[in-house]
Amino acid sequence: MKARRPTLMFTGLGLALLLCAGEGTARPYPPSPPQGKPKEELLILPGEVGRTGGRLVVSLRAEPKTLNPLTAADAPSREVILGAMQADLIHINRATQLTEPALAKSWKVSKDNLEYTLTLRKGLRFSDGHPLDADDVLFTFHVYLDESVHATQRDLLIIGGKPIAVRKVDPWTVVFQLPKTYGVGERLFDGLAILPRHLLEKPYTEGKLAQTWTVSTPANQWAGAGPFRLKEYIPGQRLVLERNPFYWEQDSKQNRLPYLDELDFIFVPSSDAQVLRFQSGETDVISRLGAENFAALERLQRGFTMADAGPGLEYNFLFFNLNDLGEKAPPEIAQKQKWFREVKFRQAVSLAVDRQAIVRLVYQGRGAALWGPVTPGNRRWVNASIPHPARSLDRARQLLTEAGFTWGHGANGDSVLLDSEGKPVDFSVLTSSSSADRMKMATLIQDDLKQLGMRVQVAPLEFRSLIDRVTQTKTYEACVLGLVSFDADPNSDLNVWLSSGGTHLWNPSQTHPATAWEAEIDRLMEQQLSVTAYEQRKKLSDRVQEILADNQPMIFLASPNILAGAKNTIGNFRPAVLEPYVLWNVEQLFFRNGAGSASQ
Amino acid sequence: MRYTFRRMIQAAILLFGASVLTFLFSALAPGNYFDEMRLNPQISPETIISLRGQYHLDRPLPVRYVQWVNSLIHGEMGFSFAYNSPVGPLLWVRARNTLILTLTATLIAWAIALPLGIWSAATAGRWPDRVLSWATASFLVLPDLLLALCLLILAVRSGWFPTGGLVSTGFETLLPFGKFRDIVMHLTLPVTALVLSSLPILIRHVRAAIGEVLGAPFLRAAEGHGIPRRRLLYRYALRAAANPLISLFGFSIGALLSGSFLVEVVMSWPGLGPLMLEAILARDLYVVIGGVLLSTLFLVGGNFIADMMLYWADPRIRTEAATQ
Amino acid sequence: MKNPHRLGRWLVALGLLHAIIACAGFFAPYDPREQDRENPYVPPTRVHLVDAHGRFHFRPFFYGSLIREDSFERLGEDSAKAVQIQFFTHGARYHLLGFLPCRLHLFGTGSGRIYVLGSDAYGRDQLSRILYGGQISLLAGLLGAGLTLLLGATIGTTAGYFGGWRDALLMRLAELFVALPWLYLLFALRAFLPLAVSPLEAFLLVTVVIGTVGWARPARLVRGVVLSAKERDFVRAARGFGASNGYLLRRHVLPAASSVLLTQAAILIPQFVLAEMTLSFLGLGVPEPVPSWGNLLANLQEYSVLISYWWMYLPALAIVPFFLGYLGLAGALQEHANPYKMEAASLGGTG
Repeated sequence: MKARRPTLMFTGLGLALLLCAGEGTARPYPPSPPQGKPKEELLILPGEVGRTGGRLVVSLRAEPKTLNPLTAADAPSREVILGAMQADLIHINRATQLTEPALAKSWKVSKDNLEYTLTLRKGLRFSDGHPLDADDVLFTFHVYLDESVHATQRDLLIIGGKPIAVRKVDPWTVVFQLPKTYGVGERLFDGLAILPRHLLEKPYTEGKLAQTWTVSTPANQWAGAGPFRLKEYIPGQRLVLERNPFYWEQDSKQNRLPYLDELDFIFVPSSDAQVLRFQSGETDVISRLGAENFAALERLQRGFTMADAGPGLEYNFLFFNLNDLGEKAPPEIAQKQKWFREVKFRQAVSLAVDRQAIVRLVYQGRGAALWGPVTPGNRRWVNASIPHPARSLDRARQLLTEAGFTWGHGANGDSVLLDSEGKPVDFSVLTSSSSADRMKMATLIQDDLKQLGMRVQVAPLEFRSLIDRVTQTKTYEACVLGLVSFDADPNSDLNVWLSSGGTHLWNPSQTHPATAWEAEIDRLMEQQLSVTAYEQRKKLSDRVQEILADNQPMIFLASPNILAGAKNTIGNFRPAVLEPYVLWNVEQLFFRNGAGSASQ
Repeated sequence: MRYTFRRMIQAAILLFGASVLTFLFSALAPGNYFDEMRLNPQISPETIISLRGQYHLDRPLPVRYVQWVNSLIHGEMGFSFAYNSPVGPLLWVRARNTLILTLTATLIAWAIALPLGIWSAATAGRWPDRVLSWATASFLVLPDLLLALCLLILAVRSGWFPTGGLVSTGFETLLPFGKFRDIVMHLTLPVTALVLSSLPILIRHVRAAIGEVLGAPFLRAAEGHGIPRRRLLYRYALRAAANPLISLFGFSIGALLSGSFLVEVVMSWPGLGPLMLEAILARDLYVVIGGVLLSTLFLVGGNFIADMMLYWADPRIRTEAATQ
Repeated sequence: MKNPHRLGRWLVALGLLHAIIACAGFFAPYDPREQDRENPYVPPTRVHLVDAHGRFHFRPFFYGSLIREDSFERLGEDSAKAVQIQFFTHGARYHLLGFLPCRLHLFGTGSGRIYVLGSDAYGRDQLSRILYGGQISLLAGLLGAGLTLLLGATIGTTAGYFGGWRDALLMRLAELFVALPWLYLLFALRAFLPLAVSPLEAFLLVTVVIGTVGWARPARLVRGVVLSAKERDFVRAARGFGASNGYLLRRHVLPAASSVLLTQAAILIPQFVLAEMTLSFLGLGVPEPVPSWGNLLANLQEYSVLISYWWMYLPALAIVPFFLGYLGLAGALQEHANPYKMEAASLGGTG
């Protein structure tokens, strides 16, 4: 199991204005907004012009736990809510990895990079036909920032300890005042769903906002600005969404999007079962495929389009316990931390790890070996000049010798690495027992390090037990884990690299940087927040990647490719390396034969 | 009557004990529901602490227990962190789906096991018995998981059966007969997996129990009196061999909610199994406790029914109870 | 008519199977942990006696592998590279029966690796893993089942024989044991253990855990039989003559329960071996890279493995003879022990 970042919503590309009459709908037509005749400024999306109709069936690993964007913390909820049901002001295009207008048709940034003025599209409506204007935006940000609501994304809107201030200029213009520069600040708006004030204000004033919009909410009490709206939820089985007739995008032939009539999410608990459902034709698209399953489906040649989008933003790594445990440290861990703190020890481990074997054996070649946290999939930010030293046991032995390690003979006649006090080097590596991939990596590393004379034990733990050990009790020696950057921008992983960050895994939430190089990373990361020019930020980010490669607090291993599949009949199927991999352009997906999903 | 009353008191104590112990276990297990967020760089540790506070996870165990009992009285059975809603309604739907599956499977398994087991015992040592023995032995040593997976692969390869779920998408548009057919199609594979995994044990127990009494003098005497063999087997032998079978039947009833766990997970049946597994792994405490109580209730019920039947079927026990 | 040879035959067969497992090091060509990263998921090697030119050889041989890019069957045979199989050859070090250092293997090769039952994801030899894996798994299964039956029989007999409050208490306790979410306790247990659990510790843990938790079911079955047995006429008569509880239990009540216990034993051993598969998911199983039947079978949970690499099923088949053996032995023992046994029984008899 890996840490999933919030999945964000997707909308469209390009920018254009168009007048279009509201389409017929089963619901009562909404009252006209007070500012004269309703005009609609629809966004035009390029791409293949599709046919309207059909039902797309997609499997989800687990049931979404809530339909409330404020409290959604689990991956399925976020995928459904932010992927298909809600919309944000400014959106990150998953294919280009750049920001583009969404509910806001344009925005201006002040000279000091602190003030963002956003202009909303005219004629926007929620899925229940109620108009969406600046008051909804104000309400939304007020609620996100209210501490008593416990919105999971609240922390994103607190910059340097102070919240973002929001004010309304007119019904279509909103100004956001940042307390501190935040690199390219418009990326913040991605994934922040604009909420309908007319439905949520009452529960909010009653203090019940967190409990509203559970999965069992009746469809008529729910509204969003995304391409689909709630139709029906059947516990344990599926969530049925239908076309939002008020959606604010159209194709180049002036057909209002989305094309699909219905979007069904069925709940299929294991990835293998998802493959079965896809293979038998019960679902139409599949993502998050393992390389083995991908190969198996490819071999079938049963009318599927299989797509390898290249390395994604997931990076897997091995890290050691570098926490300052003080007096309370268990003696055996304190003893081992002496080795772990030695940078030559970590470099030697890195040199001994066979990354190519990991890519080949764990990902069947569909992945990339890593020497830094930025994967080749993150084209704009990867530092291509970081050295990629080949596996070298000789070089590793040399480094260990320099650090005072020696070799002795073990009971079985094999060589055993000894530290300067003559103690044999042995440690355990934690992995999540539910991640087959990382179990395999740990097993390979175990064998790699055996060749250096280190005795490594793989210790698989159930996921929450593992997190508890790594972040709470800090009683572990080493751990193999993976993170998925939710955005290509370096800001998305700020809390991983800042020494004060809660996800600075090897030594989280430090009050003062423990080492000089961690202090240097802190400084560089803060500095890149204060500038907006890409070239400057890239230079600073490159330096951070170099420091990480030199000091190896994490020994980066490999990144899997994003693998997906769809029935041949589905048009506009273009998987991206950012989440949601396949559904990021769900409003453009369509059935070529117009028939929709075949249920058996 | 007094016996029934006593059993109910015992059951209440048992349920109390189960809930207390589950609370204790949950406190011992490392981590809590909100820990997963700790690996999300977008969420600060302070937010996680305040979330824990919001759901009272920072209160001492006894306080939380009292709060839970209070919500139980209101029919809510606590609050699910993950689903942001009361546990009661979550569980009912899932329990119903599980019962649809397990009741069907249990009935079919017993309906097959009784005649086959008796036949096997009656033909002991001859070919039907040998074939059955080998067949049950081979199914017994086959891991359930493998069996379920093989059935799934069969479904995919042949395309005859759906590969999971309770109904197809578009179920609501079907006619009544179509709906029935759809559910039956979806039931076939999980029911087959459940029957195949429980059948060998049932058959062997039936065979053992019947075999035990077949040699008994009273049956030989009955045979000597010319009572037809079928009547002999199904009336006298079965009744005399009822004792262990009734205990076994009690297990079958008791396992109605919990026995299909693995099959439900593998075949993505929307029952209690997947819900409970997810809840345990996610530390969704009150869902776990609700599920445990529900299955304890069934277990106690199953054993109670078995004891009543044992009492009714076995005169020896009846006499003992009367003398007490 | 009793058949005294049946019991003997089953004992000999099981004895042979166990001897092979006990001397795994000799029968296995390689160290079970040795990886060959160039050869993941290699299908079982084809052993030949006749070469590509149609010539017959007395010494069996196989061809080296050839990587073919064009076909789905990645590996082909390279007829230029014939490798002879050598018998009673020297190979990887091991300890025979756990203490005798030894290098002699039943068979092996000078160069090139032979995969009689294919290789796994890391290019490890499956045959060696199955043989070594049996050592831990069989011990765990036997000890676990023994522990469970001991607990189950004791508790079941106490409850059934003495009845009254003891019966009520023990049976409610059994219900509690079946109902409780043991997963939680196991997570907790794992948290208290040292991180690096050695295979031996893991094995003991698995045994104790699965042995202690499972007693409820046999206990209930035994109790049912005991309830009925103690009211039989001859038992009442014996009691009337002043026989002690111990005597009654030993001579009359427990023999009646023996059939149930034997049946349970034969069923429980396979179940316990398979239970380790589930426990390994919680980090309580035998840790990689040490093989056990549980973690060999756990590989099968991956769908792609299941449909792409048929030889990964072989561990599941390899354990079948053992389990059939136990069933057969249970049947034969029952026939041997039971005084009113029906005539001649077949395999597994009343198992």
